[in-house]
Amino acid sequence: MATTPKLTSAGPAVGPTGGTAAADVEVALESLSQWQLAWRRFKRHKMALMGLGIFGVMVGIAILGPIVMPYNPLDIPGSPVPGGTGPSLQHLFGTDSTGRDVFTMVLNGARISVAIGFFSMTIAGLTGVVVGAVSGFAGGLVDNVLMRLVDVLFAIPFLFVILVAARFFGQGSVVALILIFGLLSWPLIARLVRASFLSLREADFVEAARAVGVSNVRITFRHILPNALGPVIVAMTLLMASNIVLEAFVSYLGFGISEDQTSWGNALSNAQTALIFGNWWWAFFPGMAIALTVLSINFIGDGLRDALDPRARL
Amino acid sequence: MTKYIVRRVIQAIPVIFVISLVSFWLMIQAPGGPEAVFNQNPHITHAQVLAWLKRWCLEQNPDVFGVVREYLGWVGVWNCDAGSLFAASGLPNFLPTFLGGGTNGILHGDFGLSIFYSQPVSDLILSRLPATLILMSTATVIWISIAILAGVTAAVRRYSLYDNAVTLTSYILYALPTFWLGLMLIFAFGVTLRWFPPQGIVDARTSPAPFGTNAYWTALVHNPIPNILDIGRHLVLPVITLVAVSIAGDSRFVRSAMLESLNQDYVRTAKAKGLPSSRVIFRHAFRNALLPILTNITLEIAAIFSGAIVTETVFSWPGMGLLFYEGVNNRDYFLLMGIVLVGSVLVVVANLVADVLYAVADPRIRYN
Repeated sequence: MATTPKLTSAGPAVGPTGGTAAADVEVALESLSQWQLAWRRFKRHKMALMGLGIFGVMVGIAILGPIVMPYNPLDIPGSPVPGGTGPSLQHLFGTDSTGRDVFTMVLNGARISVAIGFFSMTIAGLTGVVVGAVSGFAGGLVDNVLMRLVDVLFAIPFLFVILVAARFFGQGSVVALILIFGLLSWPLIARLVRASFLSLREADFVEAARAVGVSNVRITFRHILPNALGPVIVAMTLLMASNIVLEAFVSYLGFGISEDQTSWGNALSNAQTALIFGNWWWAFFPGMAIALTVLSINFIGDGLRDALDPRARL
Repeated sequence: MTKYIVRRVIQAIPVIFVISLVSFWLMIQAPGGPEAVFNQNPHITHAQVLAWLKRWCLEQNPDVFGVVREYLGWVGVWNCDAGSLFAASGLPNFLPTFLGGGTNGILHGDFGLSIFYSQPVSDLILSRLPATLILMSTATVIWISIAILAGVTAAVRRYSLYDNAVTLTSYILYALPTFWLGLMLIFAFGVTLRWFPPQGIVDARTSPAPFGTNAYWTALVHNPIPNILDIGRHLVLPVITLVAVSIAGDSRFVRSAMLESLNQDYVRTAKAKGLPSSRVIFRHAFRNALLPILTNITLEIAAIFSGAIVTETVFSWPGMGLLFYEGVNNRDYFLLMGIVLVGSVLVVVANLVADVLYAVADPRIRYN
């Protein structure tokens, strides 16, 4: 039988033929990087695309706000009616008791609310990735100390600390709020990163890189981190959404942004009294803006979860 | 198992210690202090302010050592009156009182006085606890029931119109800010339609005594039905708010746990045996899906107090959350510390209970 001798040389004999077949396929797929594959998967997620669209509009409003705004947010274009006037063609979302245009407040609020969500997410993401990476890669005492710190941050009732910090240290400043939210919400991300580091550290491709003599720093950032990034990005989008809501709540209580700025939370801050008088438009529109943004971010996060899963098929 | 629990409790002690130290330091370091109320009063001398602060075991503009002294005074290691580590008997202050130790600090069961109310913090917390428990237990029972029902039925009819509707609804509810939803409900059903009371826990016309006072409890015992109905009416809007926001995440969780369980071989076997589908779903699939659900619910109990802050401030519900909000506004250090301590102990205990329950419910898991 001709097959018997071939079997002994099966490795090398099949290798080239298999190789050419694989090479053919590779040529066809050459142009698709990991990120392009992810984008292709993301695009199939209709809700995620819609979320991306809505969120894009919100970011656009946040950036272009001053150009689109019908009034200056600090101006008082309407006549100051006690309780304000309801929605009309002149004032799409009505006016508040001092005559400020609610539509302008919502547009301008996008700047501060989206900025707080975005920058606090970035700070939390960077801190979490660095702590998790160091902890997962170094192990031993460093890991132990850092993880106990994470335990402590997890066991503190989160909202308690946020309220105390915002009231006592925030003093109405946007930057302080970003720092407080960012520096208190990274532990979840650190845990995620550490968990994937612990498993990836033992993976064959890391072993191979180490055998070739790649430095620890390069292994961490070039070999492990990109593979651990999927769940982290998803967690970060959810964090951004929850921080936008958090800002709104903290400002609603009067512990957040100072009165002369207009975030969505600030626009809601005197909503309680307004509702008693029946002026629903003060509270309704800023709240809808928050809900819409959070919804779109959550859809994006869901799409990313599927798109960035390395085991998912195209 | 006992060994495991003991080890976890011992591990939790330093965590709670660090939490209390960090929160204490955070509050004391913040600019200003409770003595600021006297700034506008020219008749109060500096010496009087200092004496007043000393009564609270506080110092004016403390340095690092001052903060440590204040903290140790709160814990009960530092004797504030004498300004030393030793009690009047000459023995270390941290010893139990009957062994000759001091009387101040949480080590001696003294949570301190609320600076604003001049009442013991433990009394204040206990008087506010029933309102929070009533609100939260009602809401939790309802939201868990609905979440399990919605999650299981959605998983059984995966990708049907019903499943998609449940998913979309939970996404929308999940995106609504809790306090805003509460405000909108107040406006719609409390102010416009006047179906339910918009604020508070009792109606002054039904019970003149405020909720939580002794007079109230006596009135409740003498005249239970109208008083309980009154609380029930006040409960409707805050409970709807809490349930709407909380079922979203949980029903998704139940659905995925149930889907995983439905894909198992034993479910296929049960179906192949010809068992009725209700029996397969509830006896085979659901009982096994219950495990992760149980853990998830226990972990959420820890978040209940945070949830209480949001709902109670919006609805003026006189529970612990509202107490905390008032404490932050009044710079009531010891009240805040007491609530943070209760809250963090609750988180630690809930985590432990979740792990233990997991082992109890699943015989395959052993902790050693």
